[in-house]
Amino acid sequence: MTPLAAPTSPSPPGRTPRGPWRRTFSVISSPRLAIALLVAVLACSVAGVTVFRGERAWVVIFSTLWFNGLLVLLALSSGLTFLVRVWGRKLTLAWVGMVVFHVSFLGLLGGVVYNSFFSFKAVLRLTEGETLPNGDPASYDTIEAGRFFDFKRLRGETTLVRMHRNYKVEGQDKRSAYEIAVGEGAARTVSTIYVTQNLDLDGVRYLVSKEGYSVGIILRDRWGKELYAAMVPLQSLPEGAGNLLYTSGSIHGPSSFPFPPPPAPADLLLQVTYVPDQGKDRAGKVELATWPVSALEGSPAAVQAADPHGGAASPPPAHTGTVPVGGTFEAGNRRLEVSEVRYWVGIAVRHDPGLTLILTSLWAGLAGMAMTFAGRIWQDTKRGKRGSSGREPDAPAPREIT
Amino acid sequence: MNVEQVLFWCAVGLYGVSASAYVFGFIAENEKLLLGGLAAAALGFAAHLVSIGARWAASTTNPFISISESLALGTFMSMAIFLLVQATSRKVRPLGVFVLPVVFILLGWAGTLRVASDSQLAPALQSPWLWVHIVGASIGFSAVLIAAGLGLMFLLKDGRSGRIYDRLPSTTDLDRLGYRFVAGGFLMYGLMIVSGALWADQAKGSYWNWDPVEVWSLVSWLIYGIYLHLRITMGWRGRRLAWYALVAVFVMIVTYWGIPFSAETFHKGFRVEHEWQPPVDGIR
Repeated sequence: MTPLAAPTSPSPPGRTPRGPWRRTFSVISSPRLAIALLVAVLACSVAGVTVFRGERAWVVIFSTLWFNGLLVLLALSSGLTFLVRVWGRKLTLAWVGMVVFHVSFLGLLGGVVYNSFFSFKAVLRLTEGETLPNGDPASYDTIEAGRFFDFKRLRGETTLVRMHRNYKVEGQDKRSAYEIAVGEGAARTVSTIYVTQNLDLDGVRYLVSKEGYSVGIILRDRWGKELYAAMVPLQSLPEGAGNLLYTSGSIHGPSSFPFPPPPAPADLLLQVTYVPDQGKDRAGKVELATWPVSALEGSPAAVQAADPHGGAASPPPAHTGTVPVGGTFEAGNRRLEVSEVRYWVGIAVRHDPGLTLILTSLWAGLAGMAMTFAGRIWQDTKRGKRGSSGREPDAPAPREIT
Repeated sequence: MNVEQVLFWCAVGLYGVSASAYVFGFIAENEKLLLGGLAAAALGFAAHLVSIGARWAASTTNPFISISESLALGTFMSMAIFLLVQATSRKVRPLGVFVLPVVFILLGWAGTLRVASDSQLAPALQSPWLWVHIVGASIGFSAVLIAAGLGLMFLLKDGRSGRIYDRLPSTTDLDRLGYRFVAGGFLMYGLMIVSGALWADQAKGSYWNWDPVEVWSLVSWLIYGIYLHLRITMGWRGRRLAWYALVAVFVMIVTYWGIPFSAETFHKGFRVEHEWQPPVDGIR
């Protein structure tokens, strides 16, 4: 007799065998996972403002793939968890509000992901009167572009017509405003932008970002013949007590630079410092210092000139002097004329095609919260009128969704 | 010392008297002291209201910009909601045991930070979003402060009986009321974050910058989001949530007024700066 095989235990009624996809879906749509992810994002955010701070937090946490993956998973998990559990339930205001709130996370996620592929963020630095082509990456100081961003979208060119200081709109001081012309040929749009007013042209936004001084320097030979001329944009370096030092150099400190700058052959090394006149705009004194080009050949550190913070040792300048704007400075067999002072500005250029979806999702999320709040108060009030359930607060509560 | 300053310090003093009356009244189970605490709180609120009005009238900008002004507004809004709750139900009178000491300390601290109003609002603040942002922030803070006070009342009442405890609302009602205030605070806090994002997008071209104040705001919002999920999804009630609300409000206070002190943030001093800045590189 062949022994009978033990009967396999039957599947619970109503359940079908679960495949890997179904199991994955079940895990992602679990409220426990959603809460765990919420706590994880919370912990990372706290770490990003306590253990790591500022730029370090951005590098170690907020810009990383794993943290952004966590945010994506949180949005997916909270959206799906909610949708799975409310499917087919009776419509109430609180219910609809919760759906809108949780779905807004998915909208936000979609907008952020879409934006990351097609966005463009750059700083265009222009001195008054200068024009640069928008579609040329070389026009920008910094560029962050999405993988699928097409530079053809940046048509025409941008001119900084003028930088206005103490610009007033309806009596309110906007401090600085940029008058810019953007576009192609005769169809250029001229607009004045300031901190709460930007220019939106074909989905590309132009925003104010930062400003500084540019000093016009003309290099002449000993007979006065013009050899080279350029506007030199200056850094605005904090000097303490709210004062700023306007000088040539980098963000790290003052320094000299080859003049004329590359690719032209350098004639001398020059450092320019501007001391603005307190009473008159675009006037004041300019301090100039020059070194022979050989100082550059000796050591790169040699071009670090007159560093007030005690930087690299530098040879003393060959010639120094202070002239008013419009004045001329003798540097051996060369003459340097300080022709004028203009402003330079950094214009933030942005294209964020996902922005509408992101901002709409934020509003939708807020509306969802408001609907849920109102709906719950209404439900509580109705329950109160019917009488209390008598359940004590520490007794286990039903796991409700609405 | 001008009238506005005198009124400000009167408000601080009256809130201090009120806080003492509430605390000792509760310890001594003396209803009259609690009533005296409420009267002092109402008088302090009147002085507080007039001092803000006087400051506003004397300046050319709105008086809600600096940290001390922001503290004054947050505590003012908390007192307004506290007094409204008191007017609605006599049962929740001991709420002042928690709310008044916090308001007294915060407003006293604001007094040490006071500076003259700016003659001009910084350009980035010249936006209608400012109003939405500060209304959301101050009401949101007030709501969760009241929720924390209700949490304390719950913990005091739970398992105790006696003259003063018997007059408190039932633990079920305290629990439900605390939840409502947290839900309302969560909504208003959301309004603050969303309006801040829209405002930052208008002024800086970026709706989120992972600035320390932004991150701390998100942390606080998530903390209350977890509160709501623990209650709604996980079924938490009572003591655990009462403790949660008490701890969470201190995170909120740190976020609002502690972080701008300790971190480099564009919210520093609540002045969104747009000043001369160094460019990324030097020479063109």
